[in-house]
Amino acid sequence: MKKNIFYLMIGVVAVALLAIFWYSVENFTPLFFTIAFVVGIILLYLAYRKVDDFVEDERSARITEKAAMRTLQVFWVCFCAFSIMAVMDLLDIHRLSRAFWLERGPDTVPTVVMPLRMIGYIQLVLLCLMIFLYVGFRVYYARKYGEWETDEE
Amino acid sequence: MKNKIKVYRAMQDLTQEDLALAIGVTRQTILAIEKGKYVPSLDLAFRIARYFKVNVEDVFTYEEGVRTIDID
Repeated sequence: MKKNIFYLMIGVVAVALLAIFWYSVENFTPLFFTIAFVVGIILLYLAYRKVDDFVEDERSARITEKAAMRTLQVFWVCFCAFSIMAVMDLLDIHRLSRAFWLERGPDTVPTVVMPLRMIGYIQLVLLCLMIFLYVGFRVYYARKYGEWETDEE
Repeated sequence: MKNKIKVYRAMQDLTQEDLALAIGVTRQTILAIEKGKYVPSLDLAFRIARYFKVNVEDVFTYEEGVRTIDID
């Protein structure tokens, strides 16, 4: 299979998934979209394996590898920092504060600042930001390895 | 790491695209190696040298104490 056909397939799958997403939202069938998403990705993966004119050399692989590694390094710090804070908030760890034990008053215990659902949403947003982070690192390393360098040829 | 890929290409009247196709990499990779932006793996270095029918040391020269670009 030629790579242009593969790119065309990506477009077709994306449009199909968009339609299924709309259908799922309208009819409140989230499971349908979830299954369709997984099937779509599997289809694309199978098609990718059939492409024979892809040239992914070691430099491209290294750029991808480095970008992915850096993304994970930055992401897990942000994600864990937020998650730890959220868990501390949920478990009401403010009770360990010095002020609470010195004054022993109920007013010193702060109210929960973040509802459980909000924590989930923020974690989802962080996951989405991971994609942008990856793209940023990808661009950075591609430039570093002369991806858009021009030559006299 | 210095290299003489450009010289060998000129000697054999090859374009970057020709060389890239012959050794199975992209033109950008050849360009990046020539400009010293990317240090190839041992495998790729040998493939390039074999293509020009010379030793690796003839194409690539290791410079003592000169730190090559790393991706950080």
